[in-house]
Amino acid sequence: MELNRRHLLRLMGAAGAGASGLGALAACSSPTQGPPLESGHAALSLWTHDPGYATFFTDAASDEALVGGSNWTYSVEVTSLAPPDVIARLVSQAVAQRPLPDLAGLEIGQFPRMMGSDIAENLLHDLTPLTEPFGDRLLKTQPYTIDGKVYALESDNSVSVMYYRADLFEELGIPEDVETWEELLDIGAQVAADTGQAIGMVSDGDNTAIVQGFTQMLLQRGGGLYDADGNLTLLSDEAVEVLELMAEGVSTGAFLSLADPYGSATAAALKGGGLTATVMPNWYKVYGLEANVPDQAGLWRARNIPRFAGGGSVSSTMGGTAFGVVKDQVLTDAALDFLERCYLTPEGQLARYHAGAYLPTLADLYETPEFQNITDPYLGDQRIFEVYSVAAEELPVYYQGAGLVVLRDTIGGPILRALKGEIGAEEALTEGVSAYERQVPEQ
Amino acid sequence: MSATTTTTRTGRRSSGQRQWAPYAFISPFFLLFTVFMLVPIGAGFYLSLTEWAGLGTPDFIGFDNYARLFQDPSFGTSLLNTAFYTVFALAVVLPASLLIAQALNARGLKLRDFFRLVYFMPVVLSPIIIALIFGLIFDGEYGLFNAVLEALFGFGGISWLTDPLWARIVVVVLVLWRWTGFLTMFFLAGLQNIPRELHEAAEVDGAGPVRRFFSVTLPQLGPVTAFIAVTMLVNTAQIFEEPFLLTQGGPGESTMSVSMFIYRAGFQRFELGYAAAAGVVMFLIVFALGRLSISAFGVGRTR
Repeated sequence: MELNRRHLLRLMGAAGAGASGLGALAACSSPTQGPPLESGHAALSLWTHDPGYATFFTDAASDEALVGGSNWTYSVEVTSLAPPDVIARLVSQAVAQRPLPDLAGLEIGQFPRMMGSDIAENLLHDLTPLTEPFGDRLLKTQPYTIDGKVYALESDNSVSVMYYRADLFEELGIPEDVETWEELLDIGAQVAADTGQAIGMVSDGDNTAIVQGFTQMLLQRGGGLYDADGNLTLLSDEAVEVLELMAEGVSTGAFLSLADPYGSATAAALKGGGLTATVMPNWYKVYGLEANVPDQAGLWRARNIPRFAGGGSVSSTMGGTAFGVVKDQVLTDAALDFLERCYLTPEGQLARYHAGAYLPTLADLYETPEFQNITDPYLGDQRIFEVYSVAAEELPVYYQGAGLVVLRDTIGGPILRALKGEIGAEEALTEGVSAYERQVPEQ
Repeated sequence: MSATTTTTRTGRRSSGQRQWAPYAFISPFFLLFTVFMLVPIGAGFYLSLTEWAGLGTPDFIGFDNYARLFQDPSFGTSLLNTAFYTVFALAVVLPASLLIAQALNARGLKLRDFFRLVYFMPVVLSPIIIALIFGLIFDGEYGLFNAVLEALFGFGGISWLTDPLWARIVVVVLVLWRWTGFLTMFFLAGLQNIPRELHEAAEVDGAGPVRRFFSVTLPQLGPVTAFIAVTMLVNTAQIFEEPFLLTQGGPGESTMSVSMFIYRAGFQRFELGYAAAAGVVMFLIVFALGRLSISAFGVGRTR
């Protein structure tokens, strides 16, 4: 073929037209845009990081007890993504006007990334009309609430309790019903001095793990990171008290410093009996204890957390994943119906517990026989909901703010230094908050 | 008349073809360079002048992101950390690679290929596995290294990954372990290209091994050393994987590099304009350092 400027331009023009034609065709092929589907088969697309949710939703789609009587019949196609990637891809797909999922699993620590710049408001359907009828009997809606509107429904209450080795407690003479942290810490210091074993752990790993551990105790004490309006409330007497107590625990050896509560060092501490107890949410029994020390089945028990002498509750929370419905799509109405059936009905909540030990978010269900009669073989056949129901009743309210991503980075280092005794608790918190305010001045 | 006209047209056409043909042949590179380099760089620079979270329209804010950047202590920390990693890479990794290559090049060395394989292994290992193993080795409570220190010297309570200073050192140890073998291969190739007669002549003149190393080996390795130094400098100035996987930039921000700072601003905090501004600054720094080092090491200079 003869090659000249005209031919070259023609070729480039043809290539450009072809490329834009492909783009247009791809856009036309997007199945998520168009008029809402009001009935019929809804092939829902779901993004999540947790295979447990994937299994639950896939099974639920064909569970007549859950979806019977609906206007839609369901199937669920799951895409697995790491927790941070769910949100990053939601944004990038939306910007590129590419297909979005109908349901998205939003890990609680990642949700603040959607709280700024109206990202949640632009991408997610307002679920407040679904949650409002339940009032405060529907737990853990606050972390996913922006300006009074709920954008995602929590899958698991993530109620924190104290897991302990009953055999080691007996051997070491630690009473199982110690009432306050202060008493337990005195006992723990003595145990650590005598045997080198610890009655709890703190994280000294990455900022997220450090701040999560601190927040869990802070919530129990009655403090918090943010208020309902997203204003920072970290600098408080409760926060100082909690950090001082944690630092004291580390210095006496009552608390073991471990980088990753799910990592190899923690597994070694659990296997060797160096860690005799730990305060963690319900899911830690599955992902932390059963995964690392399956051979210790029957040796562990759960109890409510000792109170702080100064106040607070016997309960706390850490972690969680909520599901949001992407707005203005063909299957938005169908996805709302599906999520409501799975997450806001007693049948759905019971099915979730049996599928992956996800605790109910409807507070009234904890006292029902279906849950109260459940025994846990790993915990020596303990009637575990006797513990969880007390914790759920006292569950502290947890608010998040758009700046939490920054806060984790600014207070993680100072908290770690306070835990190691290098600086005081108040100084650490002041330093972290000052750095935060320099970066997030408007909040 | 007609024949003449045809000949002239044909001649003009073939002259035109000759004129355009070279451009047509080199155009793919320039097209790709424009699409994948110039356009993103231009878009990145424009983005750095805006405030944008990914959705909606970017708000033009001029140079505010740059002003904020130079007042942000986190960015200062990341710059210092990156400088520390870069200086370490040039001052320790580079000489270590050369010395190992020199040892591997020794006459009569048995199992040479085995040693090459061993030194090259860290490069092909997955970074995830490396981070996991280093985490096990340097864990403060249950780490192998502390256990060895405890057994040998009676102390082992060093918080390798949770103390700012030690965490930085562990990161550079990882850099040393990971990249020394890779660079060794380049030096080894350079060493094997040095004519043996030069060493023999120096030996005849009475030069010992040390004198031969400094008077023959090093000057002969000049171009290879320059290439490796510039590559290492530019790569280490953009270091990301090692601190990200090992410490997540912690404790606090004490091991965070500039690349991690950009990643955090862009993909964790959705401050895309701010991340782009940091990216532009990093580009300028790396570009300037690259040019300076090319000039200092004389890369590409005709001898």
